[in-house]
Amino acid sequence: MRYLNLNRWLVAMAAILVAACGPSPDPAVKSAAPAAKATAPAPQSATPAAKSATEATETVQLGGASTGAGSMSADLGDVQPADPSKFHKEPGYSPYAGRRYPDRPYFGDSHVHTAWSADAGGSGATLGPEEATRFARGEQVVSTSGQPVKLGTPLDWVVIADHSDGMGVISEIKGGNAEMMADPTIKKWHDMFAAGPAEAMKATMELINAQATKKLPPLVMDPKFAKTVWLKNTAIAEKYNEPGRFTTLIGYEWTSNAGGGDNLHRNVIYRDGKDKADRVLPYTTFQSENPEDLWKWMTEWEKTTGGKMLAIPHNGNLSNGRMFEVKTFAGAPLTKAWADERQKWEPLFEAIQMKGQSESHPSLSVTDEFAKNYELWDRGNLVLAPKKPEMIQYEYAREALKNGMKVEQDTGANPFKYGMSAATDTHNGLTAAEEDNYFAKFPSAEPRADRWDEDAMKFGDRVIKGWELTAAGRTAVWATGNTRAELWDAMKRRETYGTSGPHMVVRFFGGYDFSADDISRSPAVAGYAKGVPMGADLPAAPAGKAPTFLVAALKDPKTGNLDRIQVIKGWVDKAGKTHEKIFDVVWSDTQRRKILNGKLTPVGNTVDVARATWTNSIGAPELIGVWKDPEFDPALRAFYYVRVLEIPTPRWTAYDAAYFKVKMAPNVPMTTQERAFTSPIWYTPK
Amino acid sequence: MIHKLLREPVLHFLLIGVAIFVAYGLVAPRGNDSTRIVVTQGVVDALAREHQARWQRPPVEQELAGLVEAYVRDEILYREGAALGLDRDDPVIKRRVRQKLEVVAEEQLARDAPTDGDLQAYLARHADRFTRPGTVSFEQIFLPARATAAEVEVARASAARGVDPARHGQSSMLPPRAVNMPLDLAARDFGVGLAADLAKLPLNEWAGPVRSGFGQHLVRVTARTPSVVPPLAEVRPAVAREWESERRVASLSDSYKKLRSQYEIVIEAKNVPPVAAR
Repeated sequence: MRYLNLNRWLVAMAAILVAACGPSPDPAVKSAAPAAKATAPAPQSATPAAKSATEATETVQLGGASTGAGSMSADLGDVQPADPSKFHKEPGYSPYAGRRYPDRPYFGDSHVHTAWSADAGGSGATLGPEEATRFARGEQVVSTSGQPVKLGTPLDWVVIADHSDGMGVISEIKGGNAEMMADPTIKKWHDMFAAGPAEAMKATMELINAQATKKLPPLVMDPKFAKTVWLKNTAIAEKYNEPGRFTTLIGYEWTSNAGGGDNLHRNVIYRDGKDKADRVLPYTTFQSENPEDLWKWMTEWEKTTGGKMLAIPHNGNLSNGRMFEVKTFAGAPLTKAWADERQKWEPLFEAIQMKGQSESHPSLSVTDEFAKNYELWDRGNLVLAPKKPEMIQYEYAREALKNGMKVEQDTGANPFKYGMSAATDTHNGLTAAEEDNYFAKFPSAEPRADRWDEDAMKFGDRVIKGWELTAAGRTAVWATGNTRAELWDAMKRRETYGTSGPHMVVRFFGGYDFSADDISRSPAVAGYAKGVPMGADLPAAPAGKAPTFLVAALKDPKTGNLDRIQVIKGWVDKAGKTHEKIFDVVWSDTQRRKILNGKLTPVGNTVDVARATWTNSIGAPELIGVWKDPEFDPALRAFYYVRVLEIPTPRWTAYDAAYFKVKMAPNVPMTTQERAFTSPIWYTPK
Repeated sequence: MIHKLLREPVLHFLLIGVAIFVAYGLVAPRGNDSTRIVVTQGVVDALAREHQARWQRPPVEQELAGLVEAYVRDEILYREGAALGLDRDDPVIKRRVRQKLEVVAEEQLARDAPTDGDLQAYLARHADRFTRPGTVSFEQIFLPARATAAEVEVARASAARGVDPARHGQSSMLPPRAVNMPLDLAARDFGVGLAADLAKLPLNEWAGPVRSGFGQHLVRVTARTPSVVPPLAEVRPAVAREWESERRVASLSDSYKKLRSQYEIVIEAKNVPPVAAR
């Protein structure tokens, strides 16, 4: 009997999996959606008896005046919030008038999965989007494995990005379900939906209002007509979005595993609120695994709703040479139109997360001692299909930035003009990426004595061990205030940097006139006045001048001191060959460190692995400097980005070993140098 | 030999079996429900609607054909897989169904709005959760962690003489002054320890040095406002959210306990520690 009961639920729920929602601006819906007959085919999984639901919308004021909220930090307060288009060079006598720029970075995670992601749920996660959001805000929750957990440093914003595949929906009001049409109010709404876009919008408003005031017709309250996963998701985002205090950006992950495991995943991030997000269903890989189709969908979405969205790809390291391949998904040569399209929709790339880093690979950056053995997952793709060495050049951001300029040289547009971001990609609802507070990626990898030695991923005899998981990362956004619109706008203009976790403050400006005089406690004043910030393009080079850069970093009050700031330059020479070079620009402990054979001597190491502690007796809390490119050639394309390194501190494995009193294998790294990478500043010869 | 064989009962059974098989094949309809897929108008309409919901236009003919074929393919492979029992004991499918059921349970709950009385009582009961943190206005002089006591005193003396604090100590991107900064944000920017000091240092004097993750600070607190529990009108959305969230959690747990009580759980395996419904 109970079993039968459950069966009835299943059938009802299966129905939910189909169909559509939201008002239709296209009158053609009339012909497409006549009374949906209940003549569903026999005993199947997905009976298309689509039902409808509506949704309370607590609309939040977006955009508009920037708030500067939650501000008052890094380099000086007293900053008027701003119109980003007016950052630069406002003339006038008063140095304070018109000082309109982002005065603090907002830290967040653009990639949190919860129990609502089929894979997260399947692996046992029980924390849904609501718990995940509360946790990101700094509240204590109980993890799937039953352990109380709280963030050391709460986030300023979060994107709950569950997989879109399987976010089922319902919409029977539009379809005209006979049972529902018996209710005069529902019948009225149905007719309005059918009468064209204006009426449909009105009906939607009435529905939302009825929901908000708890006056929905009883039939709509029938659980069979429950709202879809997507509408639930956006409702939760709306509920926890507090402009100025904590921002929830709406998003989802489009999870394309081309060829069965080549990671081409993208997170789609909405600038707008629920009102727009609800009008269209997320794109899924059931439709297509080709990113070009996702861009098409995004184009349509913007056209329809008037809203804005962007996509952030991640884990090039698991794409087996496909993330930044220099051809289209179908294998055709790249064109300017294709490159423009990619750049338009994908301003950022997630360079580090729990499944390793995709910033640089030692086989490509052979002189980079900090790429060596640093959080590398380079043995295969997402299902560990083995990786061939020649695939690696199409997987890492630094190489893509170089190749992008080469493509630009050939076609006229740069497909890989990516800024930097970082996230967790956690699948247990917990963005717990702090080394001393690491709850890892899946419930099975939550703190436990032997998690380091277990298989994190296993396909046949190919294995990634638990200790290889990375405790990272965060995206810092130089927004004018902590609101959806301001954060999104800053992402879109790539004024961001990714960190392996710490909330360090990093400034990076490029121009032609920076000098030691610009080193001050508020580098942004000179930075915006005389140059462009991270993510932007240098203007044309005045004759005889080389680019100069103002760089500054302030440590996270909780984590290690700073070791050094580096500028990483990439360029394309006349023959079309790409190059990179790393310059140490400012460093700590200058009295005892020197350049030997072109390399700065290491900062040292104070980590007591057995106790998982370190001291800030080396390194500096803050570094600032000006650097001029000594090898500038105005005829060549180049990019410059900053990497900031902390002094060595205990890696999460060391905290585990100390807490659980376990001895790990000698090949398990026990210390790490936390870091930040900024979006590049590009130079293009005119 | 032949005779003996003809009298063999096993042969009789075999022949009867073959006869029944042949007869059934002649009588039974071609195909049955498990190998018949009917694509009704309802199915096609639903496919078209889903396309519309994603693309904001109906599918063109070719797209519709593609959708129908994909539907048929899903159906066939799903049925074949289900026939092999591949849908059973699949944790992904189980979790998905479980989530849907939980969503339905939550939705029913979401229909009742809390009254002002409910929220007022909730606010009173959980005042700490809605308390607005106190604020602090202060100036600070940043000194390196290694600065000696003598160096600290030099900075203190010149600050006391009225020299702008922004001009002493080590130049730093940390703000030299803050106005009405909420203490929780102070903790985020300066560290928890310094924020705690800011909450209790004496007013209007250069106190310290206090230590932070950055180094040492001389601090002059110029004003403080206490934390307050705001009236309901100012925090209604937050209180309603918490009220709903708490009820949601409680109700999911209650409904699970209720369902669980209707089941007989037999744990035959050994060495399983006793579990209770959570």
